[in-house]
Amino acid sequence: MRNLFYLVRKDFKRKWKNPVVILGFLFIPIVFTVIFGMVFGSGGEGTLPQVKIFAADNDQSLISGLLLGALTQGELNELIELEAIEEDEGRKLLDRGKASALLIIPENFGQNIWDGQSTEILLIKNPAEQFLPQIAEEILDTMTLVLSSLRHLFADELDTVRELADLEEFPDEAISALSLQFKDRIDGASKYLFPPVISLKQITLSEEKKDVEDLSVQAHILPAMAVMFLLFICNAVFEDILSEKESGTLMRLRISPVNLTEYIWSKIVISTLIGILCTSLLIILGRVLFSIHWGDPAAVALLVLCLNILIAGFIAFLFSFVRTERQAGALLTTVILLMSMLGGSMIPVENYPPVILIFSKLTLNYWGITAFKKIMRGESLATILPILSVMVVAGVMLSIMGSYFLNKNLKKGISQ
Amino acid sequence: MLHIDHLSKTFDTIKAVDDISFEVAEGEIFGFLGPNGAGKTTTISMIAGLLKPDSGKIRIGSLDLDGDLKKIKRLMGVVPQEMAFYEELTAKENLLFWGKLQGVRKKKLEERVQYYLEKTGLLGRENEALKKYSGGMKRRINLIIGLIHEPKLLLLDEPTAGIDIQTKLNIYEIIKEASSKGTTILYTTHNLQEAEELCHRIAILDLGKILAMGTLNELVQIVGEKDIVIVSGKFSIDQARTIISSFQQATVLSIEEGKIVFSLEASKNISTVLEEFFKKGITIDDVSIKQPNLESVFLKLTGKELRE
Repeated sequence: MRNLFYLVRKDFKRKWKNPVVILGFLFIPIVFTVIFGMVFGSGGEGTLPQVKIFAADNDQSLISGLLLGALTQGELNELIELEAIEEDEGRKLLDRGKASALLIIPENFGQNIWDGQSTEILLIKNPAEQFLPQIAEEILDTMTLVLSSLRHLFADELDTVRELADLEEFPDEAISALSLQFKDRIDGASKYLFPPVISLKQITLSEEKKDVEDLSVQAHILPAMAVMFLLFICNAVFEDILSEKESGTLMRLRISPVNLTEYIWSKIVISTLIGILCTSLLIILGRVLFSIHWGDPAAVALLVLCLNILIAGFIAFLFSFVRTERQAGALLTTVILLMSMLGGSMIPVENYPPVILIFSKLTLNYWGITAFKKIMRGESLATILPILSVMVVAGVMLSIMGSYFLNKNLKKGISQ
Repeated sequence: MLHIDHLSKTFDTIKAVDDISFEVAEGEIFGFLGPNGAGKTTTISMIAGLLKPDSGKIRIGSLDLDGDLKKIKRLMGVVPQEMAFYEELTAKENLLFWGKLQGVRKKKLEERVQYYLEKTGLLGRENEALKKYSGGMKRRINLIIGLIHEPKLLLLDEPTAGIDIQTKLNIYEIIKEASSKGTTILYTTHNLQEAEELCHRIAILDLGKILAMGTLNELVQIVGEKDIVIVSGKFSIDQARTIISSFQQATVLSIEEGKIVFSLEASKNISTVLEEFFKKGITIDDVSIKQPNLESVFLKLTGKELRE
């Protein structure tokens, strides 16, 4: 036990004096969080990023005006930032990535609608962006569908309106006849429209669900990135085994009263401790830089401990399969990246189809990120206790297996 | 102190150590001399408990390596060829760490650290990271780490490889001092001068076997009064063998295309031998004559020159 303490203290001093690698891995999640925060907006409370659309209205008609006006009404106004622009200028600016999409309304658009002829509007999306142009497309799809339906439903009435528009004054009788016509049309259609076949049910989300939406972009990104880079940090600590094997210090340790099991456990302990320190630092930075509300401190502290036990055990286990730094680089990096991809460190698992979600649940990233989010959403310690227990049990078991196999592997390696 | 009894080790089909036996007394510096691949490091690894022998026994004092490895580890110090320490840490941090692992008490350890740093001329630089040290300074630290717990048995694996003469002399001094205090030292080297300078007794190893063992004087007796002559030139194996065999005082030790090593009773006859080469129209590039010393013993026993 005393030797274990000396070994851990020695490694801690070494890392303290040469922290470049660990700081590098610690720095990346913060940078990623800043970048993602800037791309998707920093605010929490469920705000969506605004979609900037350039609109080139080559028609300048009543209908085109109505369409563009509709895009800036009500809630859409919060979602869309519409900027009128000339088509050529709009294309140039879109090429430079100044907007998510360019909407082009062709000449005679309004006339064609009046005439009941088919017409089209053009939406050019910014290829450099992935999600925001998609939002613009969805909105415009819906609006064109609504517009077409209205044109078909009120075809006769719109023809009358068009004739009236050509007159200098609107005769009262014509207006009242048109009103009656609209009313009759709506009454006639009401048996088909009401009760609606499809209705939009408005529900108030439960408190739990509402909190999900309250997490800021950074609160999603930072824990996800943190888990991935904690794996890399732990990997960097374990790589010491291979460099010590190379330099001869491991052989010298083996000749000293230290046994290999103590040595391996010292690596497991030091990587757990460094992991805890790094996670704590990320949590503090997350709070200071991004105002992330991590939730119940006791639950967070327990999660940090359990997660790092699991990570250290997992990396120890993986390390028992490698003998050289090249092998470690290839195997560990591949496994960490794959697991991070599946487990939600790169893409939120909510976007995965059920079949991938099965594999997600086999990764420690998934459980780490899930536990962080549960605590952030205010779930009690009791609800995440099963996850934490599994983490500790799995971490300890992997550590024991890793220690056993690594011991055998190193005995062979040093002797040769 | 150290008893090696019929030790053997085979890797696949190669016999790295082939049935060797020797004993080293307390305070003795015992040289293990041999070219690369002779089996020196394999023997040291087995004594250090890193390798399990295929057969044979190793005893240190009254302890058997098989059953008392834990106790033996406390009695043993090792100085490997590699700079086996932590370069990010300072000299003092390294010495304290290795000393504590060996169970040396704090006060005693600090005294020893101070003593050895002074002895090696490193006092005043003990708080610098070892990565800033020169090669010679690192070698000295590497040695002190092996000695910090004042072991009963010290295994030194070429501890002076690639260093300046000043550092070498400093290391020799420390080794001799340890020996005078009763530490038994097993010193592997392929440097003949080093073996002559330091070792009380020497074992010459090649291909896993001990070819000869004894004090320097005893070993030189093997060569007798004969000189060792090495002739290089443009000749075939058969040509050279025919020439040398025609001289009764000469014995061929090794021969290869363009190079022959032979012993000659009196080197004054060398001109007669060389004349025979010239008569056959053979061009001689180089001739060297070794007086009876460890090098000539090694040449006689192995037919090989030993170079650092």
